[in-house]
Amino acid sequence: MSRFLAAAALLAVAAPAAAQRLAADVDCRPTKHDLVYDCRIALKDAKSGNPVSGAEVSVGADMPSMPMAHNVRPVKAKPGAAPGEYEARIELEMFGEWALRLDVRGPVRDVIVKKLAFREK
Amino acid sequence: MDDYALGVLINMGLFSFLALSAYLLLIAGEMSFGQQAFFGVGAYAAGIGTAMWGLSLPVAALAAIALGAIAAWLVGLPTLRLRGLYFAMATLAAAEMFRILFELFHWQRSVDGEPVGPDGTQGFRGIRWVLEQGIEQAGYAAIVFTLLALVLAALFIVERSRLGATIRMVGEDAELAAVLGVNVERVKLGVAAVAGALAALGGALYAHHNTYIEPRNFDIMLGVHSLAYGLIGGLGTALGPLAGVALDIGLLESTRAFQGYRMIVFGGLVAVLLIVRPRGLLDETTVNRIGARLRHRGAR
Amino acid sequence: MLADVAQNTLDGLMLGSAYALLALGFTLIFGVLRRANLAYGPAIMLGAYAATWVNLSFRPGLFVLALVTIAGATLAGAYVERLCFAPHGRRTLSRDAAAIASMVGSFALWMQLEELATLWLPKHLYSFPPLYDGPQFAVGPFLMRVEYIAMMACAAAACYGLHQLLYRTRFGLAVRAVVDEPEAARLAGINVPRVFFLVFGLASALGGLAGYLIVTAHEQVTPMLGMWSTFKGMIAMMLGGLGSLPGAVVGGLALGLIESYSQSLFGPQYRDLIAYLVLFALLATRPAGLWAMLARRPAEAA
Repeated sequence: MSRFLAAAALLAVAAPAAAQRLAADVDCRPTKHDLVYDCRIALKDAKSGNPVSGAEVSVGADMPSMPMAHNVRPVKAKPGAAPGEYEARIELEMFGEWALRLDVRGPVRDVIVKKLAFREK
Repeated sequence: MDDYALGVLINMGLFSFLALSAYLLLIAGEMSFGQQAFFGVGAYAAGIGTAMWGLSLPVAALAAIALGAIAAWLVGLPTLRLRGLYFAMATLAAAEMFRILFELFHWQRSVDGEPVGPDGTQGFRGIRWVLEQGIEQAGYAAIVFTLLALVLAALFIVERSRLGATIRMVGEDAELAAVLGVNVERVKLGVAAVAGALAALGGALYAHHNTYIEPRNFDIMLGVHSLAYGLIGGLGTALGPLAGVALDIGLLESTRAFQGYRMIVFGGLVAVLLIVRPRGLLDETTVNRIGARLRHRGAR
Repeated sequence: MLADVAQNTLDGLMLGSAYALLALGFTLIFGVLRRANLAYGPAIMLGAYAATWVNLSFRPGLFVLALVTIAGATLAGAYVERLCFAPHGRRTLSRDAAAIASMVGSFALWMQLEELATLWLPKHLYSFPPLYDGPQFAVGPFLMRVEYIAMMACAAAACYGLHQLLYRTRFGLAVRAVVDEPEAARLAGINVPRVFFLVFGLASALGGLAGYLIVTAHEQVTPMLGMWSTFKGMIAMMLGGLGSLPGAVVGGLALGLIESYSQSLFGPQYRDLIAYLVLFALLATRPAGLWAMLARRPAEAA
């Protein structure tokens, strides 16, 4: 029980932040290098669908079938052409199904996980 | 320390809960390939608690721990009579059954107009309690490691107590323990329940760190790895499995140059390590020697 | 309805013969060395990958591919034996501790061999030439596949061959002596480590043969082959009865039948669920396995 009092005390200190939900469309295109992909992300508000620009988006990846093992170092996404669009180049360790983790900071704080299958050409 | 490094540390902490879970059963004399099932039970239970029912993490985690203990107890009842590979395969079968049940588990609730909840093989996304509370990596790392430290403290106290000696005696020679009046079955069931609770706690923390879980996360690979960490790190002390975790995950990170070759290096290293130290790094003999040396120094 | 039952049974037996072959190899190692080899499947996978590479580069005949698979699996198996099984003799460790050390070592090499394979051939799927490139066999209304008939034949031949080896040759006598009383065998002058090495090689070769037949039947090779082979072999072995060769075949066929019926009655998702449920129930009630139940002999129990 004492472990939970400790944890609860820590959590009591944290202040609740904005609980805005985001949604994202992710499209990854292969590049001429194997296992390197250019991903375009369209970030929007989950309810209204309005694009969210000016956020700091960091893209990481993990494989569902062996969690925490194939950690891909997160890459900061650059703002793209249209509002709410971001681009990032990621390098994966092997082909297969990956869960991309979009860490969004800036005006809104959220984490979006998108599963994508990366197959060889 | 940047967020990525903190993330790696958190992963090590989470894996440690699983490794300790397998370790507990190992010192009671049983080899389990299935602790990942209770990790999964904890993850789903806590996720459902916070994301679907609006509970806070501490409360959801308590529920997760209780469910993990019960599940482990249920699996242990018919199987703890078995030993060796028989028990290992029984736990593997049970864990895979849990995983397939997670694949068949669909339960969603509308929260804020959106469906939230486990969706079979599609997974369970949107476990955002930690985000909503504004806790960042550093804060979460503090939580995970505080809990881990408390668990280790509890384990150290138990290891030095009569209960700890009883558990190890059951692990070394169950027949002898029974002859000496120990209720072997009750000890093993108790250990199994605590191990399940520990794995479930790790799972609850994992679900909230990842914000997304799916049945494939809890497959055989996870289970065999957690067992191996204890056997590689040594069973002399609760720090042994942690050493195993640090060796594997630490190696992944510190050998960025080996990217893509990590398993080749890890595999070869472990195989060679076992030739030199077949009972793991911090095995019982080593720990006793270190303990004796520390006591000797203290006596001077 | 009866036709369905018959087709399911046939399918189950065909599928089961693959499992039986896998289980035979796994059981040889467990039966003789009393240790589990978690790198069994990955060694087979390396053999299959070697054959795939040879196929991509040279497109040789099926016989060559079979040889490459078996040779690759045997070589990989020998590597595993030297690194994880031979060093943990009984000199300093108890039997259990040696078994655990070997098992954990084999786990480490499992990871290593799997990564080696995926580095060598990184694609998620490679096609593999089938054994018979023609219309499917039909015996009356029942469909049969040539690869699976070949597997059944090989499983039967392997079982018979192993029996002959164990009971009609000097080597087999040495093996049986080592299984019964390793210390006495050593004192009688039998080179126990050499027996272990040869048995391991034989088991790996059997595994390689199983692997070859499986990939020609599936007509593809994927990185999942390693773990799949190990655990199917282990489950079949446990179903049939730990360490028993006829048990391995019985267990493999039983697993195939269970999977075939479950899939046809309840759908693919329930297929594995039911197989695991049966295994769990069997271990909880009759861990000695099906063969012991059938043959009614006092086989090894928990």
